[in-house]
Amino acid sequence: MSLLSRLRAMFRRERLDQDLDEELRSHLEMRAADNLAAGMSAQDARYDAQKRFGNTPLLKEDTRDVDIIGWLDECARDCRFALRMLQRSPGFAAVAVLTLALGIGANTAIFSVVDAVLLRPLPYPEPDRLVRIWESSIKYDSPRNVVNPFNFLDWRDHSESFESMAAISGLMTNLSFQGQPVAVQGMQVSTEFFSTLRIPPLLGRAFSAPDGLVGQDQVVILSYELWQRQYGANPKIIGAKVDVDAAPYTVIGVMPRGFSFPKIKSEIWTPLPIARTEEWNSGRYLTVVARLKPGVSLRQAQQDMLRVANLTAQARPDDNKNWSANVFPMLEDATRGVRRPLWVLLASVGFLLLIACANVANLLLMRGTGRLRELAVRSALGAARSRLVRQLFVESLLLSLAGMAAGLLFAHLGLNGLLALIPQNAPLPRSEPIAIDARVLLFTFLASLFTAVVFGLVPALRLSRVDLQSALKQGSLRGGVGGHQTLRRCFVVAEVALALLLSVGAGLMLRSFARLISVDPGFSSEHLLTMHIWTSPARYRDNLKRSRYFEQILAEIRNTPGVQAAGSTHFLPLTEKISGSCFSPADQPTPSPAEAPSAQFLIISSRYFQAVHTPLLSGRDFDDRDHFEAPPVAIVNHALVERFYSGQNVLGKQLRVCWTIEKPVEIVGVVADARQAQLQDAPEPTIFLSNSQAPMYFATFVVRAVGDPLQIARSAEAAVHRVDPDQPVSDIQPMETIFSDSVSSPRFQAVLLLLFAGLAIALAMIGVYGIVSYSISQRTNEIGIRVALGARSADVVRLVLREALVLTAIALLLGLAGSLALSRVLQSLLFEVNPTDPFTLALVCLLVFAVSALAALLPAQRAGRIDPIVALRYE
Amino acid sequence: MLKPKNDLLQGTLALLVLKTLVRGPLHGYGITLHIQLVSKDILRVEEGSLYPALHRMEQDGWVTAAWGVSENNRRARYYQLTAKGRKQLADEEKNWERLTQAVAQVLHFA
Repeated sequence: MSLLSRLRAMFRRERLDQDLDEELRSHLEMRAADNLAAGMSAQDARYDAQKRFGNTPLLKEDTRDVDIIGWLDECARDCRFALRMLQRSPGFAAVAVLTLALGIGANTAIFSVVDAVLLRPLPYPEPDRLVRIWESSIKYDSPRNVVNPFNFLDWRDHSESFESMAAISGLMTNLSFQGQPVAVQGMQVSTEFFSTLRIPPLLGRAFSAPDGLVGQDQVVILSYELWQRQYGANPKIIGAKVDVDAAPYTVIGVMPRGFSFPKIKSEIWTPLPIARTEEWNSGRYLTVVARLKPGVSLRQAQQDMLRVANLTAQARPDDNKNWSANVFPMLEDATRGVRRPLWVLLASVGFLLLIACANVANLLLMRGTGRLRELAVRSALGAARSRLVRQLFVESLLLSLAGMAAGLLFAHLGLNGLLALIPQNAPLPRSEPIAIDARVLLFTFLASLFTAVVFGLVPALRLSRVDLQSALKQGSLRGGVGGHQTLRRCFVVAEVALALLLSVGAGLMLRSFARLISVDPGFSSEHLLTMHIWTSPARYRDNLKRSRYFEQILAEIRNTPGVQAAGSTHFLPLTEKISGSCFSPADQPTPSPAEAPSAQFLIISSRYFQAVHTPLLSGRDFDDRDHFEAPPVAIVNHALVERFYSGQNVLGKQLRVCWTIEKPVEIVGVVADARQAQLQDAPEPTIFLSNSQAPMYFATFVVRAVGDPLQIARSAEAAVHRVDPDQPVSDIQPMETIFSDSVSSPRFQAVLLLLFAGLAIALAMIGVYGIVSYSISQRTNEIGIRVALGARSADVVRLVLREALVLTAIALLLGLAGSLALSRVLQSLLFEVNPTDPFTLALVCLLVFAVSALAALLPAQRAGRIDPIVALRYE
Repeated sequence: MLKPKNDLLQGTLALLVLKTLVRGPLHGYGITLHIQLVSKDILRVEEGSLYPALHRMEQDGWVTAAWGVSENNRRARYYQLTAKGRKQLADEEKNWERLTQAVAQVLHFA
């Protein structure tokens, strides 16, 4: 019967019911009347008619089954019945629901992160057409290098694949509110920025072509949040003047709430006054975003950019030789680096859910075996196999939906814990909130359905296939279901194998994390306070003035009580910030910038090394001799000496550097290596220049306190304000926080994998325990005979254990094979640990084996104590 | 759907009912009476089987049903053969003959 006619029948059900009743009544009456006519008494006539009908309700049921079916109606009945069955065994139901809730909850929590970060489209119109364009260099192994301003201008003017292209340069910005200096993260953007993203301002207008040109009014656009926080959400802000970096700017727009750009925080936007003047033709520091023309593919755009990059290389070979360009989809680019860890985590919780499914399937099989008699009776009374399967499946579905409800609760709690693991100021790829929303709920629902199918359908089909008649006849249902035992063994093997897989992953991550945090960074974070300042160019444009300014601040900080030492650097270690440039020995002819060797550059103050405890290996530190007008000097690290001057004395050597310093610099000191961008990056050759001689606009002060660094935070900030009360100070935090945040991502992965592996092992333990207990209950008779015939307790334990250990051994082999097969996936996430690390593999195998053995030993010992008399009476 | 436990008997019931309805529309009770009468009390149709079978045949489109009034003025549901039902009847009759012939041959052979 088609589903449609069933549905139609269902809606007509009431009328059909009446019809059927009436039809049967008329039949009865006619029969009774005939009986009466044939001479029966009225009562006999009626009784006979009724008797011929037999079981009227059953007849009605059967008949209705045929025409109304009430397929859904039966489902409701099945549900009620299933609920009753589950109520009758609350222990089983609780364990099953809890197991499923763990699996579903963990999946929901991780999926909500994966969805928010990786899957949801970027919050701009037609986000698929947004791309990032980078310079690329094979020589420096840099496929995503920030962009030279002149190259950006050439790209914009000569490329043909893009509707529009914009450049971004992130900057701190100093604002002033009611006399209070405040530093906010800002962005200088070329005027096409907002139109490329296609997000118009909430109030006012976006930048237009003349904005930012010399001689124009200085204009600024505020974020919604800054407007709310600092300007009281006053709509009259448009047209008002605000002080930006100590200069008056006109506010022309406010962006909508939540507007952001991936990975670069910003609360304020000013035009990037980019032009083809010599001032702009140096260095690479722009981030470029572009929108593809409709119908242009990524491939075409990449081809187009290779052509344009060729043009720029020919036009300015000194800068661009060996440089090309790369186009990446913006979403892929923004989520780079977190994609693989997140997929690994999602796969891990997926495995966890499978283990939970296997566990519950085993519970169902075990319970189903106990219910064989019930099933047999129902079958004998005429229930079709499909009915029994459906009945069992509905029970599974109910379990899984209950698991979903509890799982959502777990997910809600778990997600809060998860988000607490992410550091506050981490540069997240996406700023959209991570929450359990409609998409996540849909995923959870589908996962629960999948779960019900996986753990419910197999046992249901399997149980219904048992020869129920013979099961009934035997009277005893034990031993008649050998097939299930094989199935249950398979489930347990799968569980233990998956648990091993997860544990290997967790073990590797943990080992990698331990390696990582035991790396000697080359400096000491303890007692170190850091704080950042950005000097407004309007007030400190003059290099000499700026260099003096930093010296004065340092002097004030060093005079503060509780301060042991203080210095400054332009990029703090472990913040993933590096700057590089070219250099060459001064006694050789100057190569072009593209040919010259390159090194990392750091602009530091005197006594920086003393403050961070990086030892000086030879020569001297910067000091008062190295003032602005003095001959420029440099310090190099050990890695640079090793790479370029191995075995030579570098002190006194002169270097030409492609930096703001024109004159050659003399090497006056060599320091030990320290980690800069990240803890896992081996030290690169580095040239340190003095901030007194090549002053930057910004600096991070590192202050070594005698005691708790936070104790001196106030007084150190006050020291800055004693030099310039209008100087905002930002990011005041202990170096230990920065250190800890810098390893938050591997810690996040390690903690979660460890948690999942722990849960997986616990579930697998329950599985092993279950199958051994069950096997013993099946073999009580046999064991009783063995004991009666003289087997000792130890023999019985060994007998029972052997089965569990064989299963575990098979599982370990499978799990090991699986982890070797998946080792390449983990490779890039591990630090100084091979994904096939024999130590970790062996240890984890041993652990899982020991845990399985323990899980098997508990019931096995019980088997050893079986009293033969009791056992033989057991049946 | 429920699979008939005994195809032969189920099929036979359908055959008998269809054949009965060739004479014209009839209600369920009438059908049992007719079969009993014509078979000289050898075949008795169980009500418990008849109504599910009738409703199944209705679903399959072999018969249509409508309310009418019986000889002695009772409201009864009358079943009428459709074209599809006639074709089905022809098929089943042929099957039945083949089957009885086959059984007869086996019996005579032994």
